[in-house]
Amino acid sequence: RQARRRAELRALALGRGEFRLQDHGGRPRRMADFHGQWVLLYFGFTHCPDVCPEELEKLGRAAELLERDPALPPLQPLFITLDPERDDAPALARFLRDFHPRLLGLTGSAEEVRAAARAYGVYAAAGPQDEDGDYIVDHSVFIYLLGPDGLLLDCYGRAKTDAQIVQSVRRHMETYEPVLK
Amino acid sequence: REKMSAPTMEERKACWGARDEFWQCLDRHAEDGSKCAELRRGFEGRCPQQWVKYFDKRRDFLKYKKKLETEGYNPPEAAGKS
Repeated sequence: RQARRRAELRALALGRGEFRLQDHGGRPRRMADFHGQWVLLYFGFTHCPDVCPEELEKLGRAAELLERDPALPPLQPLFITLDPERDDAPALARFLRDFHPRLLGLTGSAEEVRAAARAYGVYAAAGPQDEDGDYIVDHSVFIYLLGPDGLLLDCYGRAKTDAQIVQSVRRHMETYEPVLK
Repeated sequence: REKMSAPTMEERKACWGARDEFWQCLDRHAEDGSKCAELRRGFEGRCPQQWVKYFDKRRDFLKYKKKLETEGYNPPEAAGKS
């Protein structure tokens, strides 16, 4: 079943296209900047009640565990906001520092963020605003594994533990072939 | 209008703690909210309004899920029984 799912993801070849975003330090970042690196990517927003902090803690722990093995290539933890209206670079910096020291946050214009979400098949919809202007962004929840060619190799849902993610990433790293030949 | 900052990690944990205390009270009193009014106020005081709404819905969902698991699914009765 796992092999079939991996084959389906390869067939989709998600992660093509382009985005022009900025990281939480204000530097411009494009998709191609991450080619050559393994990436664990999560889409969320800083005003998230529970899911995003939980998933980012898990992502951070998985990244930490993988870092401990010197035989494995380095991995870049990455966060892309689905709420660019509120999540500017300083907001991302404040939010992300609680999770992993190398966790990089990306934001940008609404258009560019939408393009990035679309490239990876992410669903997102902002809910109604209350009288304080606060709102929740409903969104699909996955941690995505990108290979060095930038394409989606695997995705991990809420039920996957950090240990399971580590095991899976390790297996992908050891057996890696580019998605598109 | 100034953008509201997202809650910090400390504020998030304080909110979750207050929510959990309130929910534990509801568990102890078979969902009787009147027995947990003070904890409800604590929960509302520590969490953004949007999060209170969100967690209320989550609680409803979790209760419904538990009901399905313990009682099973009973489809609504068809109109005009013989």
